[in-house]
Amino acid sequence: MEILIKNLSKIFKGDPKKSIEDTIAVDNVTIDMKDNELVGILGPSGCGKSTTLYMIAGLKEPSNGEIWFDNEEVTNLASEKRGIGFVFQNYALYPHMNVYKNISFPLTNLKVEAYKKENKIESLVLENKLLENIKELNEVIISSSIKNKISKERAILFLIDKYIISPSFAKRLYSYKLFLIEDNTLLNNRVKEIKEDNLKEIENIKEKYLRKDIKIDEEFYLVDRNNERIKERRRLSKDEIDLMVREVARLVQIEDQLDKKPKELSGGQQQRVAIARALVKKPRVLLLDEPLSNLDARLRIKTREEIKRIQKETGITTVFVTHDQEEAMSICDEIVVMNQGKVMQSGKPIDIYKNPNNLFVAKFLGTPPINVFKGLIKEDGIYVDNEKVSSLKNNDYINKEVYVGIRPEGFILNENDEDLGISLRVKEITLNGKDTTLTLEHDSFLGEEIKIVVDSDLALSIATYRFKVKENKMFVFDKESEERISIE
Amino acid sequence: MKTSVLDKNTRLVIVTKGKNLNERKKLDIVLRIIGLIFVYVFLICFAFFCLLPFYWMILTSLKFQDAQHYQIGNDFFIPFDEIAWSNYVKVFQVNGFDIPNLLINTLTVVILSTIGTFFITVFASFAFTRLQFKGRDAIFFIFLATMMVPTELFVTSNFITMYRLNLLDGRWQVYFATMAPFLVNVFYIYLLNENFKQIPNELYLASKVDGKNDWQYLWKVMVPIASPTLITIIILKVISGWNAYAWPKTIVLNDPAYAQITVGLRDFAEFYIGNGAERRELVTLQMAGTVIVTVPLLILFIIFRKFIMRGVGRAGIKG
Amino acid sequence: MENKNNYKGWLYLLPAIILIVVFTIYPIINTFYISFLKDYNYATGASTGFTLDNYGVILGFTEFPSNITGKGQVEAFLRYALPNTMLITFITVPISIIFSLIVAVALNSIKALQKFFQTVFFTPYVTNIIAIGMVFGVLFSQNGLINDIFNLDISWLPSAGGETTYFHAMVVLCIELIWYEMPFKILVFIGGLQNIDKQYYEAARVDSTPTIKKFWKITVPLLSPQILYISITSFIDGFKEYQAIAGLFNARGTSPLSYNLYTVVYFIYDQIQTGGRNINYACAAAIVLFLIILLFTFLQYLVSKKRVVY
Repeated sequence: MEILIKNLSKIFKGDPKKSIEDTIAVDNVTIDMKDNELVGILGPSGCGKSTTLYMIAGLKEPSNGEIWFDNEEVTNLASEKRGIGFVFQNYALYPHMNVYKNISFPLTNLKVEAYKKENKIESLVLENKLLENIKELNEVIISSSIKNKISKERAILFLIDKYIISPSFAKRLYSYKLFLIEDNTLLNNRVKEIKEDNLKEIENIKEKYLRKDIKIDEEFYLVDRNNERIKERRRLSKDEIDLMVREVARLVQIEDQLDKKPKELSGGQQQRVAIARALVKKPRVLLLDEPLSNLDARLRIKTREEIKRIQKETGITTVFVTHDQEEAMSICDEIVVMNQGKVMQSGKPIDIYKNPNNLFVAKFLGTPPINVFKGLIKEDGIYVDNEKVSSLKNNDYINKEVYVGIRPEGFILNENDEDLGISLRVKEITLNGKDTTLTLEHDSFLGEEIKIVVDSDLALSIATYRFKVKENKMFVFDKESEERISIE
Repeated sequence: MKTSVLDKNTRLVIVTKGKNLNERKKLDIVLRIIGLIFVYVFLICFAFFCLLPFYWMILTSLKFQDAQHYQIGNDFFIPFDEIAWSNYVKVFQVNGFDIPNLLINTLTVVILSTIGTFFITVFASFAFTRLQFKGRDAIFFIFLATMMVPTELFVTSNFITMYRLNLLDGRWQVYFATMAPFLVNVFYIYLLNENFKQIPNELYLASKVDGKNDWQYLWKVMVPIASPTLITIIILKVISGWNAYAWPKTIVLNDPAYAQITVGLRDFAEFYIGNGAERRELVTLQMAGTVIVTVPLLILFIIFRKFIMRGVGRAGIKG
Repeated sequence: MENKNNYKGWLYLLPAIILIVVFTIYPIINTFYISFLKDYNYATGASTGFTLDNYGVILGFTEFPSNITGKGQVEAFLRYALPNTMLITFITVPISIIFSLIVAVALNSIKALQKFFQTVFFTPYVTNIIAIGMVFGVLFSQNGLINDIFNLDISWLPSAGGETTYFHAMVVLCIELIWYEMPFKILVFIGGLQNIDKQYYEAARVDSTPTIKKFWKITVPLLSPQILYISITSFIDGFKEYQAIAGLFNARGTSPLSYNLYTVVYFIYDQIQTGGRNINYACAAAIVLFLIILLFTFLQYLVSKKRVVY
């Protein structure tokens, strides 16, 4: 599903009586999110990213603009009818339902459109097939025993997990109690007996349909006299719901937590349940609102990989909102950076990192953040505090002050004393293992402290050094508009 | 998904009316508006149900009625020049329904019992929340437990107590007997406890450092901070005092001169004009009487509705 | 230091403790005690030993003693007071709870005028039940508004002129009680509804949940603590019904000629206020009332353990 947002705006009306002014939460935003992609909307808090997500979900009404799902315009369509999955920031799991009920809840609201199928015959045929390998079947049941005791509930759960079958079918398989027959001949005879009974029943059912002029094809669908499959629209059966819940529970790895109430789960598990509930109805779009903000640091990294995996496995177009640039950079196919209700830049994470359009984007992406200096463009290049850092320039900006941003990894120790470079005082040295982070000072620096990352082989001490600047890691911005200035 | 338990031919659909997208969108808007209209109509009807008795009370109290014109009719409005203001004069002249005296009785009891309850509640809550002493929690538990026992269990015994203490005769004795059993209200203490508990302990310690003693701390710090809750308590107490009927009625058997206004009003409902088959109720004067009893409370409610609704609602939210 | 605090704490609590002991704790014990006394005389406190007859008489197991007055009044406890109390409670409590819940949900779903409606709906709470009983008397009188609107000619209430049936009087009483009891319930439910996280409803919307299902599967379970609280308190209030009857019927239907609109609490007060002043029977009735309340509260607690979400 492709999501297209055209000139979307959201204005929260103020109250003139209490002299509260209108606030523009989202300002003329246009984003194109491609099918099967994981898109991150990134920005500081209050930038309008969550509002945008809520408008895609239909939970907030746009003041202006359009939202398209593929070639359907859904702008004014009620949220109920959009067929989306939504993971709320604090999960919004129903506290009075257990995990199973939470996940199955969306399914109970849906209908299914399908060809009519004779499930009875299908299960009888499948049963005969499973009975061929009676040894394996019995092993599955016996493997469920605890202390040599077989409990019915556990055995049925094992059967469901092994063969991916419905509970009622598993119950039937168990009820034959074939695992109790030790003698091989007796067992084989009993199996034969059951199979023959099943075949007889199949014939009976088929005959009944024949009388109504309905046949059953090899995939167990009902076929009318024109040889066309019969269609129907119905509620999901309990068995279908069960299968789908367990399938999605396996996908997010919470299949052993289904009986618990949300309160009894850890934050990470609740998160998985929330994702499972959003995914179980096979949504057209999956939307996640700050999905990782309630998790601790370690779990956050693990869970974001999970989200990536689930997205790739399901192939559902996924949009998530975050204020954490690292999170967005690491898993997204595409990111949209927003600030003050406007889209600052969008594209592949690495492209944006390499080519920020403006000072805000440059500052927002990357850890440690970019170092911004006050600079001056002269006829022969860019200067910071009378030191020439680069021979590149922009002729429109001669003798104008600009901002010079340099990524932390853009500094090389100027050992050969070349004439290009910048002198920085080292204040602190932090060894990270494979590289070293330096904290430095400079008079023209905007902000608290400069952080740069250098090779850990360098032996440095607290002193002033001169650094060369990698030109592809340096960006120059207009002082007024803060837009990027091209240099050559 | 890689493997799906649903057939490839199966499609999950949202239960919805309307064939295409535009139809569905239109249906959404129409249904939302119909729903909203329905809700407002329902609420207006219910508001009418809530207010009708008040309106009818005031309206009836302003209609003409005498022995000749007994039928007062059911018109929903009365022309301004047909308003019987005189009913409010007449009602003060009814023999045996002595409104000034009833009001003096009621106001005296309400004011005294509200002052009493205020101090008792403040002292008790202060002791329960700020002072450490042996047996404190046990006492509070006993207090809470008495809330579970219906007041009807006390009345027989309390009546005997009042009888034996000779409190059923004489103005101040009857006043005291009327209010004494209800001076302590555990619910109010509980309400104030919750509020006092929220005041940080640091304030207490700081005031000790400043050389304030407990008494000063209570009146200079805690009571001002808890004043919204205290206003709630005062108003709830005034309302319940004004509306009390069963116990005051029991107390004034010997001395009806010191009855509360509700007791007088109830007796007034038994007054008639005429005799035998011609006997008629004094409906318009009765309604004038109920207006006099009801309107002060309504005014109090309109002024203090936030405090009243918050205090009453708190009971439910805490469960 | 601690000793000083000890003494101070008790000093602050002294007024409350004295009043509670004299007017609450002692009466509980005393009522229980009197309910077992034989030939009790409230004026002198004299009695002739212990007996179960007080309970026997009001519950109909024992004959009313012939040497005292007030036979009809005491026998009305079993004949009228107990059945009426149950009937009033089991009619008004469920209806007012369900109706209040609907009103609260409707009120919670709107934005404009919400505060206004909330105030209007709460007004009946602050009114005087005796006064409002008289107003209902006028509304339901034979020539009154209700008969006029619905084009009826029913004598709803036992009035000076006309006769009425038990059924009609009960209908008016229940309507008045529902009118009077709903404001508190609506207020508590609104408070509960506003405490429910809006995200549950947003989640339900995204999942295409129909409105009715939202109500049953989300609102009702999440409101269950308030529903339990309201249900327990209103059953208790229902069992204690008295003042509404006093206001609506006045002496009629509850006095010597016919006691058919009696209730348990009416009986208790009536024993003190009028007739033979057989206070020992009033005490036994109060204990019976207390036991009924305990039983119902306990039953509701049992049900709630399964159903209520905390």
